[in-house]
Parts: sequence; structure tokens; C-alpha cells
Amino acid sequence: MTKIQFLLIAGVIGLGALASALVGTRLVYRLALMGLLVLGVFLVSFPDVTTEVARVLGVGRGTDLLLYLGIVAGGFAFLLLYARVRRVERKVTLLTRELALREARGTEEAL
Amino acid sequence: MAESLSQRGAFAVVPCFNEGAVVRETVLGLLAEGVQVVVVDDGSERPAAEICGDLPVHLLRHRVNLGQGAALQTGIDYALRAGAEFVIHFDADGQHDATALREILTLLRSGTVDVVLGSRFLDPVHTRAVPRAKRVALRGGIAVSWLFSGLWLTDTHNGLRGFTRAAAQRVRLTEDGFGHATEILDEIRRAGVRYCEVPVLVRYSDYSRSKGQRLSNGLNILIDLVLRRLIP
Repeated sequence: MTKIQFLLIAGVIGLGALASALVGTRLVYRLALMGLLVLGVFLVSFPDVTTEVARVLGVGRGTDLLLYLGIVAGGFAFLLLYARVRRVERKVTLLTRELALREARGTEEAL
Repeated sequence: MAESLSQRGAFAVVPCFNEGAVVRETVLGLLAEGVQVVVVDDGSERPAAEICGDLPVHLLRHRVNLGQGAALQTGIDYALRAGAEFVIHFDADGQHDATALREILTLLRSGTVDVVLGSRFLDPVHTRAVPRAKRVALRGGIAVSWLFSGLWLTDTHNGLRGFTRAAAQRVRLTEDGFGHATEILDEIRRAGVRYCEVPVLVRYSDYSRSKGQRLSNGLNILIDLVLRRLIP
């Protein structure tokens, strides 16, 4: 096992630990996270596997395959986060509006 | 006085963000028309209450800045709760002439339309008052709005609009920022309300020019609209 593999496995496990703290208690998420963790460690340990899969799919190298998949995954991650930001923004708007309406000063209270 | 009393059911919503003293002029102009004025301070650094707190207006304040669309909707909600028969959108920066409300309210009262939209491109005299670069940008806005809403109007980004109570209840703004101008048209189409345009003069002072939307901002609005259509 090369040094980079140690580093990468440490990184994958570190990410997994952080993610498990954030992902909450839903079983589906936990299982998905575990699956990703195992897959990550497996692919780092046996890098030839990705190259073989890449060949089957018509991509030259395993690295390229991972890059392509990474871009797609990144795109989805961005959109999901964007959607979440939108929801949060909407809640802030509703709260701010409600507060403004409650604290409104009518015409008769003019100084 | 009878004239001004009859306008009490009309509420002009004036969203403002860091506008300064010009708000006061705008508000005074509206009060002279006898309408009720709802100033929505969208989290300005210097609260609008310091500028027009002594005037007989309804004052609301967002604790944080949300954007013009959100401020408008807050003012609309307030006006509807206060029993408004008509709701007018009116820019704070002094670009509109308050006397234009007379024609808008007459049209709304006639019962022939539910929404009246101000346009600076119906009267050639008004059109010439628009700076050339602005004209080009606004033509772009017309095309974009048509793509999104299917309404072909002569001026889609005019801040002066009038709604009957029923129309104001049905047209809801969820775009917090400047995308609301296009969203309103989309909502008008969806709600199936009757609308028309009236010629209005838009005054371009140095102040309103500096506060107005820039071309690059227009592009941002477009991107926002596309993204938000894809991601609800």
C-alpha cells in the first residue's frame, strides 16, 4: 500500500466521521453514508478496479471516470444546496414580514 | 376635500431601502393625492421613520434587508389587512408623478380592469425622457417578460402599478429581489385578471439614475428567474 493510499483512506474516513455527525438519524442516510464510505476505501485500496470499470464504459482511465462522476455529483450537490438556501430564504422572508406587520405603526401614531 | 376623502380606500405602497430624504418628497406627493401611504423600510441603515415618521403614513420596517419584491409584498399584506380597496405600487426614489394615481384609480374604479400598469413607452414624449442605454435594457426586459409570462407589454419594469383588492390578493410575490417585476406579469397571467397599460412619465434625476438597476443587474435578474423556475 502506497503513502497516498493511506492519506486518501484517512481522508475518506475523516469525511465519513464528519458527515455522520451532520447527516442526522435517518436510517436511509446512514446506510447511504456507510455505503459511500466502504466504496471509497475499496476504490482507494484497489485502484485498478476503477480503470476496468472505465474501460467497460468506454472511458480511457479510471481517474477520468472519477472526474466525470465527480462533476455530475458536484452539480447535484450544488442544486440541492441551492434549493435548501431558497427554502431558508423564504422562511426568513416570512418571519421578517410577520415581524414588520406586527410592529407596524399606523397613521394615527404619527409624531 | 370630497375628492381626497374618496381616495381613502386607496393604499400606495412605497418600498424603500436607503433612499434618504427623497422618500419624504415622494410621500408628500402621495398624501396630496389623498391616498393612504404605506412606507415599507426594507432594513435601511437610517430608518425611514427618521425621515417621514412625523407624516401621517403607515410605517413598516423589515429588520433585515430582503429586497424590493419582499418589501412590496409586506406592504400589500398590510394594506389588505387594513381593508384597502385599491393597492398602488409606487417607487420611493421620486421617479413617479403622484398625480398619475388619478387616472389609475379612475380606471380601477370603473370596473373594466383589475390591474393597471404604468408604461413610459406609450407616449413618445415619455419615451424620449428615458436614457438611451435604459431603453435598450428595458426592451430586453420586455422580451424576457414575454418569454416568461406570455404577456406582451410595452414596459415591463415600471414600478407604478395599480391593483383592485381582489387582484392584489391573487397576485403574490415570492421573488424577494428585483425579479418580482417579471414575476408580477407571470402572476397576472396565471390569475387571469384583466389588465391594461397607461402612459406615465418616469423622471430620471441623477439620484434615481444612481439608484436604478444597472444593466449587469438585469442579467442577474434573468439568471435568477431561470434558476428559480427550475428549482422551486
